[in-house]
Amino acid sequence: MSAEPIILDRRDGVAVVRVHGEHDVFTAPALREQVHAAIEQSAPLVIDLSGATFIDSSVLAVLLGGLRRAREADLGYTLILPGDEGAPVRRIFEVTGLVPVFAIQATEPEAVAAASAGVNA
Amino acid sequence: MSELHLVLPAAPENVVVARQAITGLCEGLGFPSRATDDVRLAVTEACTNVVVHAYAADTAAAQLEVEANAVDQDLHITVRDQGRGMGVFTGAAGLGLGLPLIAALTRAVEMRAGPGGVGTEIAMTFSKDDADGDDADGRA
Repeated sequence: MSAEPIILDRRDGVAVVRVHGEHDVFTAPALREQVHAAIEQSAPLVIDLSGATFIDSSVLAVLLGGLRRAREADLGYTLILPGDEGAPVRRIFEVTGLVPVFAIQATEPEAVAAASAGVNA
Repeated sequence: MSELHLVLPAAPENVVVARQAITGLCEGLGFPSRATDDVRLAVTEACTNVVVHAYAADTAAAQLEVEANAVDQDLHITVRDQGRGMGVFTGAAGLGLGLPLIAALTRAVEMRAGPGGVGTEIAMTFSKDDADGDDADGRA
């Protein structure tokens, strides 16, 4: 159902969900499915938002739901978010005050290492 | 006369249609890209409220209406439904973030009953001057 790709990849035993393009209430269910599937397989999870150009609060809800599940399962859960302050995708985290809620990394090696080590906060 | 007037079926796949139309309008009006980003997000959240909350699931011909007017440096955008009325809006996807986000991204916002007391409309005002840090670099 997603016009923009959401790709599941694996790196060193860590599930990496790569989110590209624009995502909103239409595509959020597809992302939720990927996130929940990875957590149900007890895989530490990285959600790579570096290729995303737009997300809304529907997507934030999915990311927060995934975080809650990962913490309940004691699994690593990190986000890759480019550090450019005010960039479109980072902006929604800033406006909602959610930057400190997530374990945010700038690069994939950092995010994979942190998730593999169980970091989720 | 409206700069833009869209009437779409209130369906999740049409939120992007409204967002793209508003993006084109902002670009045509010369909004800086960061101001455009805020307009895109606020309009998306308002449209999502309509799609998710305004109508009962079995409503036939549920409509999402977006109207935009530019006045000097300001852009007035109204997102309207003909649904169940106020009091059912709880924010996108149940997080309750939709309306606070809209409030944070707009110069002014008013939620009120629609014309003739039918449905609800969210009237938002944006300004070209509201971008945090103008970006003359043309970042897309």
